[in-house]
Amino acid sequence: MTCFNRRALIACVAGAVMAATGISVSAQDNEVTITHYFTGDLGLKALNEQIARFEEASGYVMRNSPVGHEDFKTDILVRASGSSLPDVFSYWAGARVQFVVDSGSLTPIDDMWDREGLDDVVAKSIADSATLYDGVRYLVPFNYHYAGMFYNTQVFADAGITELPGTWDEFLEVAETLKNAGVTPIALGSKYRWPAQFWFDYLLLGTAGPDYRAALMNGTARYDDDEVSRAMAMWKDLADRGYFAANANADTWTDASDRVARGDAAMTLMGTWITGYWNDIGLVPGDDYAFFPFPVIDESVPVSVVGPVDGFVVSAHGNNPEGGKAFLAFMMSDTDVQLAWTNAVGAVSANVNVDPANYNDVTQNVIATIGASDNFAFNYDLATPPPVAEVGLSMFAEFMDDPSRVDAILEQAASDAASAFTQ
Amino acid sequence: MERENRFWRVVLLVLPLSVFAVFVVWPLFSSFWYSFTDWNGFDPNYAFVGFDNFVRIWTDRLFYGAIVNTALWMVAAILLPTLLGLALALLLDRQIRGARIFKTIFYLPICLSAIVVGQIWTWIYQPDWGLLNAVISFVAGEPFTHAWLARPGSALWSVIVAWSWQQTGLSMVIYLAGLTAIPSDLLEVCDIEGASPWQRIRRVVVPLLIPSTIVVIALSVINSLKGFDILYIMTGGGPFHSSDTLAMHMYNESFKKYLMGYGSAISVVLFLIALVIIGFYFRQLKRLDEIYG
Repeated sequence: MTCFNRRALIACVAGAVMAATGISVSAQDNEVTITHYFTGDLGLKALNEQIARFEEASGYVMRNSPVGHEDFKTDILVRASGSSLPDVFSYWAGARVQFVVDSGSLTPIDDMWDREGLDDVVAKSIADSATLYDGVRYLVPFNYHYAGMFYNTQVFADAGITELPGTWDEFLEVAETLKNAGVTPIALGSKYRWPAQFWFDYLLLGTAGPDYRAALMNGTARYDDDEVSRAMAMWKDLADRGYFAANANADTWTDASDRVARGDAAMTLMGTWITGYWNDIGLVPGDDYAFFPFPVIDESVPVSVVGPVDGFVVSAHGNNPEGGKAFLAFMMSDTDVQLAWTNAVGAVSANVNVDPANYNDVTQNVIATIGASDNFAFNYDLATPPPVAEVGLSMFAEFMDDPSRVDAILEQAASDAASAFTQ
Repeated sequence: MERENRFWRVVLLVLPLSVFAVFVVWPLFSSFWYSFTDWNGFDPNYAFVGFDNFVRIWTDRLFYGAIVNTALWMVAAILLPTLLGLALALLLDRQIRGARIFKTIFYLPICLSAIVVGQIWTWIYQPDWGLLNAVISFVAGEPFTHAWLARPGSALWSVIVAWSWQQTGLSMVIYLAGLTAIPSDLLEVCDIEGASPWQRIRRVVVPLLIPSTIVVIALSVINSLKGFDILYIMTGGGPFHSSDTLAMHMYNESFKKYLMGYGSAISVVLFLIALVIIGFYFRQLKRLDEIYG
């Protein structure tokens, strides 16, 4: 009896172990695992629809496990450390992808890119800046966004503003008019820090130009240089004039967007995903809100636009790299997928075959603005390595808390960033 | 028979010991190892850097800020729930109307997860429409309102208040249990001898509650060392690191800056600090145990 019990126990344990290990090898050939950060109501629903289209067209079965936007940044790297990445995952093009490429966690997709002729599909400016890392292709740009000055049309009209500002002086004039009309000119929600980065990006790119900005992002320029001080002084000037809503660090980007939507504030410098958010709460593009490009500060400096590129990459540790590549090719090339997806989340397609006429007026205006610019730059936290980005993002939040300390803040940031670049 | 028992002892211990080894011992030793490397958290290639990470700790201004905040957090997170719990227990121990309802209400927050408590208090502290500023605005006027979680001077204290609100109920229940163990004849003697209520509490009740206090403080120490989730949900160590504790700083360095080696070095320091505190505490506990049996 005892013997029987002992054997039964051993058999049970062995069975459990075999069952547990069996799970990892039971993945089917046509199964592709995917993780992404499109977890908002709009994004998740729209992506699930596009995934269903891929499944129907290809015969692959997608195993989908979304992770919230902020948690994703940590989650995906923890999984990379355990070599347990899914076959495909979404990621932000730029320094973050470079970071993962350096660790050997991604599969090159040059073969698929050539086979599918993506050179003729992906807009060249985006393909050059977002898909190539150390001369090898790793990412397809599923969509991209642009950061611009989104404003409440009714508030502008009520304040008697008929002409949108094109230059810095005109911008200051508009802000002053709004302030005199009793409206807070600018909303900024920097609780999670990143929304403040667009101000730094545009002020620096507009005064020092893209070459200097690239030098600052790669560590060959310093945060206590005159170029940075000049950009920050302009930002401080706006704060000193009382143009920003109070307590920026208490608000999230949606709080700031709500302020503009309600008419408590007139405008906010934000990415095009704000259009998806506003459309969802019932605002009508063109009627209730519109945008204008960040004003030109110095005409001798090339005009830059700023934004992130959301991409899909294929893991080096996945079970089904070919399935992953098939997914990337379909999501990038299929114009119906691109149109449905970008319209749902307020983004712009990098697929040149997507007709801009299918977008609303605001997005068409965005596409024209990007087309007329000289340079597309990734926003700050995607342009510089993550340890340095942490220094800068905290610097922006500290600046918004007390702009009068700008010199001390820059001095500290210069020292912290120099140290972060050596890590 | 003895052999059979030994077999079952081993068999039954295998599972819990394996879980403990895999989820506690192994990560602990891994952290020690990684603290001597420049690992970024996911790259299989990393180098042994000796004591570089520990040397860097001495020049890290954010580390010093985190040490001060951790000390503040621990002292406040132990003192406030203990004192408030004692005060509530003394108030509710008397035969007052609705004492049972109040006890339930004060105990309820401990049943909520730290994430829920953090979210509730984030709403209370919201500068524009939060309850706290609404009350302040009504009583004292709008100039006295404050962005509680968004300003460096108030963020940590605001989280400590939320934490204490949750933990007080637990201390109260333990003290209430302790109060029932105080012999009623002792309290009657106090009345007969004409002791004032303060003398009664100070000279009789509080000394007799020392065994309860030991339990309350032990739980507070353990809970405050674990107090990461509520801080993470309410401030994430912000604004700009002003409410960073050592655990939060370790998390930021490891998972936001991807400096897993350096983050591991911070975790080793945190482990040693916890070891000293708990070692000291157990020594005191043993002494008290000898006194009170």
